[in-house]
Amino acid sequence: MIGVIAKHESKQLLRLPVTWVITSLLAGLFAFLFLQQVEVYLSRQAELALLDHAPGLSAWLTTRFVAPASLVTLILGPLFAMRSFSDEFRLDTLALWQSSPVSTIALVVGKFLGVAGVLCGALSMVWLLFLGISWVSPLDWQQVASAMLGLYLLASACVATGLFFSCLTKHAMVAVLASLATLALLWLLGTAAFNAVPVPALQAASLAQHISGFHQGYIATNDIAYFVLYTGLLLTLTIIRLDALRHTNH
Amino acid sequence: MAENRPILLEAQTLSRQMSASARVADINLTLRRGDVLGLLGLNGAGKSTTLNMLAGVTVPDAGSVTVAGYSLAEQPLQARAALGYLPDTPPLYPDMRVGAYLKLTAQLRRVPKRLVRSAVDDASELCDLTAVQKHRIAALSKGYRQRVGLAQAIIHKPQLILLDEPSNGLDPHQMQSMRQLIQGLGETAAVVFSTHLLPEAVATCNRIAVMHQGRIVASERDTNAGTEQTAKEQGVQPLHRDELDTLFSNLVQFGTPKAPITTLSNKAAQPAETHHEMDA
Repeated sequence: MIGVIAKHESKQLLRLPVTWVITSLLAGLFAFLFLQQVEVYLSRQAELALLDHAPGLSAWLTTRFVAPASLVTLILGPLFAMRSFSDEFRLDTLALWQSSPVSTIALVVGKFLGVAGVLCGALSMVWLLFLGISWVSPLDWQQVASAMLGLYLLASACVATGLFFSCLTKHAMVAVLASLATLALLWLLGTAAFNAVPVPALQAASLAQHISGFHQGYIATNDIAYFVLYTGLLLTLTIIRLDALRHTNH
Repeated sequence: MAENRPILLEAQTLSRQMSASARVADINLTLRRGDVLGLLGLNGAGKSTTLNMLAGVTVPDAGSVTVAGYSLAEQPLQARAALGYLPDTPPLYPDMRVGAYLKLTAQLRRVPKRLVRSAVDDASELCDLTAVQKHRIAALSKGYRQRVGLAQAIIHKPQLILLDEPSNGLDPHQMQSMRQLIQGLGETAAVVFSTHLLPEAVATCNRIAVMHQGRIVASERDTNAGTEQTAKEQGVQPLHRDELDTLFSNLVQFGTPKAPITTLSNKAAQPAETHHEMDA
């Protein structure tokens, strides 16, 4: 049943022209950033040659290209997920799911997988860019895979955030703005300092803090656990909210 | 005999607070296979809330619902698999094509994979949608959309069919077809449908219950023994059709069934064919 719902959700998303417009713009943006960083890398060869541990092309691109791409993901996640439940409210279609033999867990997980699948598919264009450059220069694929894993985990967290806010309102734009505000807050949380000293608790809760390791090629268990728990928490809140709707006069 | 037919819906003392002043209370219903119950009432009488509770869309504050032997509270997935529901607004995705939408609803209702195609075709044929299967739902007229909504409710051949004002937006010819379709469905399932049109209920149903201010205030008495039994269970007076007509007429005119009930004996002789249409 989860597969049926995920397929329906991804098809719904792919039916929207705005999805293709965003994906096209994304492709253009990624290509521009990628080529720009390759050019910068080539132009600084003389400086890099003087360093003891100069970064290779893979390290250069994962920290200077994939890291900005992560910021784009922060915006794309809510944009792709904003209609998931808002549209169900707006079109009065939630009764279809609520009167069908579909559990709320299956509904939420199915919708999450559908949206996350489309977003991760769009982000997979980054692989093509790396594949292209690997024809002319050897790459550290482990570092690239690490950065991509971080990107996918971040995308999942952003989709879960968008999904949660979309189940709170029938206005998709409100859901997007609330999601963006939440994600921006979580991203910047780690930069908060008390008497110029960073607060460890806030750093531990920061998205930026947990994604940076992936860009440097370090896959830490606590970073993976952070994203999995964050995504799980938001999906659980979505399930609770939808179950609560059966008790309210909506 | 009526008692030999399996019970497909049993609702006991269903209650739900809708707002500070509106409440659906003490709804008791027992439907067997072959029963077509018309839930008649003014706008705001609590018909849609009652159907939502019967479909599992909303949870009652008190009471229980059993569908085909499954408790809606304890075995919700099995109970919901046995029912089909057309809400007040058909749950349609405008961007989808009719065929694809019906295929989705068949999958959601757990129709086996190999039977999905035939289920879509059967429902399309029953609801006269075969010609528009490839059309986008957004391009359909209101009448066609209503029929797509009905098709999704019956695509899995449910034992209990709940229809909230299914004739909304239909022209007289389509209404006639809808009546025949509902009567046909009633041969193999139990059907509850809400309406504010007495003639429609009379023409389609073999049982009628009148709702007013969140309660069932009267049930029609006819040759169906189950109706009288249900009326007794509900604690309401079973009425003859002419009495029902008078009661409903007073509901329309005075907004209350109470005064007419006291004068039923005087008014019972009035023609039974007086039809009244409620304000939309």
